[in-house]
Amino acid sequence: MAVLSDKPTIELSHVSKWYGDLVAVSDLSMNIGPGVTALLGPNGSGKSTTLKMISGLIGTSTGSIAVKGMAPRGDAKTYRSFGLVSDVEHIYPYLTGREFVRFNAVLQRIGDPDTATARAIDTVEMAYAADRRLGGYSKGMRQRIKLAAAMVHDPDVLLMDEPLNGTDPAQRAQMIQLIRTLGEQGKTLLVSSHVLVEVERFAENIIVIINGKLAAAGNFHTIRDRIDSRPHVIRIRASEPRKLGAALLQMPVISSVGIDEHGRILASTSDARTFYTTVPVIARDEGVRLLEIEAADESLESVFSYLVQR
Amino acid sequence: MMAALWNPIPVFMLTVRQFVGGKAVRVVTLIALLPVLFAIIFALSSGDTDGQNFITVVIFDAMFIATLLPICVLILATGAIGNEIEDQTLPYLTLKPISRLRIVAEKLFATVVTAVPPIGAGLSLAYLIVFRSAALDEENLPFLWPMLASAFAGIVAYSAVFMLVSLFINRALLAGITYALLWESLLGRYLPGLRVVSIRHYTESIYVGILGETRYRSVVAVGDGLENPDTVLVSVIVLSVVSLVAALLAVWRLRNLNLE
Repeated sequence: MAVLSDKPTIELSHVSKWYGDLVAVSDLSMNIGPGVTALLGPNGSGKSTTLKMISGLIGTSTGSIAVKGMAPRGDAKTYRSFGLVSDVEHIYPYLTGREFVRFNAVLQRIGDPDTATARAIDTVEMAYAADRRLGGYSKGMRQRIKLAAAMVHDPDVLLMDEPLNGTDPAQRAQMIQLIRTLGEQGKTLLVSSHVLVEVERFAENIIVIINGKLAAAGNFHTIRDRIDSRPHVIRIRASEPRKLGAALLQMPVISSVGIDEHGRILASTSDARTFYTTVPVIARDEGVRLLEIEAADESLESVFSYLVQR
Repeated sequence: MMAALWNPIPVFMLTVRQFVGGKAVRVVTLIALLPVLFAIIFALSSGDTDGQNFITVVIFDAMFIATLLPICVLILATGAIGNEIEDQTLPYLTLKPISRLRIVAEKLFATVVTAVPPIGAGLSLAYLIVFRSAALDEENLPFLWPMLASAFAGIVAYSAVFMLVSLFINRALLAGITYALLWESLLGRYLPGLRVVSIRHYTESIYVGILGETRYRSVVAVGDGLENPDTVLVSVIVLSVVSLVAALLAVWRLRNLNLE
């Protein structure tokens, strides 16, 4: 079991979900407490299914889920302290942003829905477009208005499925800041993403899911160090690749060096950070001009594959 | 005034906006007004042809009850929740501290409220065109109220049943059209036993019951129209029970539905 908090607000115990022969989520157990936790995994890994089970949108095949001690599926009262920002883009196109958020406030039985609506819209900085119809919103605007709707009742628990999808850099920065602020306020946020570098900017803890199974869980920096210590393959384009390749072989952190069909160096190292800082020095000493350095296997899938093998 | 209704009945208001904002109301209005077209043709070509026979046999029995009513209600009722499932917006309702019963009840109410005006208008206009200056005559007026009353009963029952269907079948509109055309319209005509388990039978029975069987038989020949109608009371009870059971099954289904 992944224990990320000794005072959990979200508890999953041996949760599995399958559709016929297809296993979407397998024996997932975890405790998640206040703060921001990222649910990380490649597309199709089971992140959305997990969030949907936690929110009660779909039932589990086996296992149990509790949010603040209550089973969300079948218990409407749970949703008083609960908000979900889904990854579904379609929202009532005939409503304005304000009407949509207010509608959510009314369903949450808030005493003063107008004030709560205005506050939530201000929080996501959407006041300028609040009276426009949702059908004319960009993807980034829809993400922010969905967040406003999900937090209009000031919930303790917020589930967010890929909330940064479709946002531009400015919106992304604002959304990340908002997620961090909500986490600092003591709310429990579970945010799914498939982009590792994105998660680094807001999550203290991460849960990595691959093929529906728990691959890793814990403090972000601990997991990140594990990812950094895996064997990396780095591709280098240089003016004299063979000369530089021979010099690189002398580095203790290098395990192998080769040249690909395009004349680029492929170097394998177990210490990427040392490698990246040392290569320019070696190149300068050898009188070789460096044209390009890039990770050859930095895809998230390769990182996840490594974590699974551990 | 309408804005004030968002607080007490938000799901109802959302559903009405959904109907009005989409194509549903326009399509239903066009279909519901088809009897008007036939009434105009009748008015232009009838001469001394019996208007009471035409409104009962052609407009109400053959056209409205058999096909137009179920199809009009089908379009709205299957869209009320079905569209939200298809668009994946239903979680905005189900992930809230409100009961599934309230969601179904408000959706059903919205369907009925949206269906009544175009259907009522279609029937009333057709009646006015068929009878023209004699529309308010004592011998003709008794044909209008039974049509409107039985249509209302049919709207409620079909709404509940088709809403339930939309919670079980992805292509509820197609399934409903098949049901309306095959079961209610075609098979019911040739297999008299099926009429007992047909909403059409009880809707039509309400019409005949309010109109009076004697008056009904004065314009519809034996062998045509509805044979062996049930009483108004029995028909209302049956349609009420069907509506209630369908609504409760919809609540149960909504509680157990997986929203992928």
